[in-house]
Amino acid sequence: MNVNVNNPENAIEVRDVHKYFKVYEDKGTMLRERIVNITRNKYEKKEVLKGISFDVKKGEAVALIGRNGCGKSTTLKMLTRILRPNGGTIAEQGRVSSLIELGAGFHPDLTGRENIYINASIFGIKRKEVDRRLDDIIAFSELEAYIDSPVRTYSSGMYMRLAFAVAINVDADILLVDEILAVGDQAFQTKCFNKLKSLKANGMTIVLVSHSLGQVKQICDRVIWIEDGHIRDDGEARKICDDYLDDMEKKRLERIEVEAKRRADKEKAALESGDISEEEKKALREKQLKRLSCEEICAQCGPDARRSGSGEAIFTDVVMLNADGKPSTHFSTGDKVVIKIKFKAFDTSKNLNFTMGITRSDWVYCYGSEMRECTGSTISGKESGEVVMTIDSLALLKGAYFLDFWIQDEFETEIDCIHNLIVMYVDEDTGKDHGMMPMEHEWEVR
Amino acid sequence: MDRIKEIIQYKDMIYSMVKRELRGRYQKSALGMLWALLYPLFQIAIYTFVFGVIFPSSIENYYIYLTAGIVPWTFFSEAVGQGAACITSNSNLATKIYFPREVLPISAVLAKFINMLLAFIIVFLFIIIGGVGVSPAAIWFLPIIMIAEFLLCTGFTLFFSAITVYVRDMEYIVGILMMAWIWGTPIMYSMDGLSPVIKTILLCNPMTSIIQSYHAVLYYKTLPDSMYTIITWVSAILVLVIGELVFAHLEGDFAEEM
Repeated sequence: MNVNVNNPENAIEVRDVHKYFKVYEDKGTMLRERIVNITRNKYEKKEVLKGISFDVKKGEAVALIGRNGCGKSTTLKMLTRILRPNGGTIAEQGRVSSLIELGAGFHPDLTGRENIYINASIFGIKRKEVDRRLDDIIAFSELEAYIDSPVRTYSSGMYMRLAFAVAINVDADILLVDEILAVGDQAFQTKCFNKLKSLKANGMTIVLVSHSLGQVKQICDRVIWIEDGHIRDDGEARKICDDYLDDMEKKRLERIEVEAKRRADKEKAALESGDISEEEKKALREKQLKRLSCEEICAQCGPDARRSGSGEAIFTDVVMLNADGKPSTHFSTGDKVVIKIKFKAFDTSKNLNFTMGITRSDWVYCYGSEMRECTGSTISGKESGEVVMTIDSLALLKGAYFLDFWIQDEFETEIDCIHNLIVMYVDEDTGKDHGMMPMEHEWEVR
Repeated sequence: MDRIKEIIQYKDMIYSMVKRELRGRYQKSALGMLWALLYPLFQIAIYTFVFGVIFPSSIENYYIYLTAGIVPWTFFSEAVGQGAACITSNSNLATKIYFPREVLPISAVLAKFINMLLAFIIVFLFIIIGGVGVSPAAIWFLPIIMIAEFLLCTGFTLFFSAITVYVRDMEYIVGILMMAWIWGTPIMYSMDGLSPVIKTILLCNPMTSIIQSYHAVLYYKTLPDSMYTIITWVSAILVLVIGELVFAHLEGDFAEEM
């Protein structure tokens, strides 16, 4: 493990490193279980790193990114020599210090000053060196007034500030940082961040593990993306971070799809099997309906649609039609617009009132109308039905507009409400009106 | 050899950990460091009451004989008994930060050693007030015994603390071991009247020769029998080497086992 680097320009050389953990079926540290386990030796090898190799040049700042459990923290722990690789070699040149555990060895009853010495000594810093840096450390922590009070009287933020001040004021050639830049308030975080940048500017080699890609992009030149124990990509920070984000988003969507499908399959199987009663089947169908996605309700659904409500009644279909009766979201000023709304009521005792609202893309509320105010009545006693709203002449000028739909009861309780369901575009207007809407007007010269 | 060099590099950490242990222990109690004296004092008082008053011992100045043995014994039993858990109780350090792991057992033993040095105030108080007095011809040998005992303790603590990481029961087993061990060591009684067979058995216990040496220097005011000194040093170094070898062998996987 303690081999020298081959290339003198490198600070770290990792060669084909493997690491596995023993996963006991029921890990026993108690003697009885140990004795039982000696004979059976029941454990599985969980391979965390399956052979990774990389170099870090002197003065380079590298981030390790990847999903939880991909092996990036394990890699960092091996660089600090807390864990040993099961195969391969790690060579490091220079003094290694780690910002992995903050406040290590702090004793609550001792003063801040005493704890600085203890904490620093655990990082292998000599007393004399601490004497020399004491003022810097205290100044960095901004705890001058409290430095001779016991640490137990500190707030958790103060505690972390002191810990960070010690850790970051170490003299090292290689600094290993694990997800700890979220310390203290915003001002202190910025300070830590700037300190890290200045350490880098002074030629310190930094290896960082972080989920904050923003920080990674700001500090690091290079990113190593670890996936399932392998290096998936290694290169310029911005590019790798963007690829990683794209991949994460893709995985997230895939996951949602898989889950939705699994749920649907399960429910379908339940409906088809004879195991559940008619009542339960009905309840299940209702549940499925209530869960209808905005896309399922409306084929014209926009990207920002949000649905909420108590669910005694629901929208099942919403469609916006043009004068020819064809679905459309593109109109001109003065066009006829027909909106057909189908609904289903689970609690027919409710008095259902339908509302439609229009908001311009810059969040200016333009128009709203509710059925009760126009017709003087609400709907009750019907399990399903259709409501049609017809706008004879669309009085909006060029722009993009969001349409919101509500089902409410007479107390204006939100039963089903979908914000931004449809994005409607007005492409052509009168050409002689400006702003949001046309007005009947005339000019005359007298 | 590299290991020893590295441990020496971390001497400031050992210093800090000892200070933390001692300062931290007494910081909040009203009597503070005075407890380091009061504790052995009461211990001596209780044993003297039992073996001096209830079951009178034939040993002259029993309380001084007892004091000379019980103070070093307390160091041994506390250092090894509590030191067995020194890695597991500092798991937050051992799993997160790199330092030579030996620092933890060494610091644990050293803290108890300093406690013993303080308790020696009581020992000297008793031998002077009790009229036994101090013999310059013998007393210079005291540090040599203490150092040997320190090395022996360190060896046992290295061994047991490493085992405790893998088998947590070890902590309790060591506690029970100590309970029995005190009776296998001539602290409350004297070796003089015992049969040769039992004497031989007792001498297999490395603490016997150490306690006998303390008795010689403090109670009998003579240099210890050279046989005792040889047994003491051979066993101390042997235990230390074995302890360190076992520790070094197990140390690599500490972080994974905790």
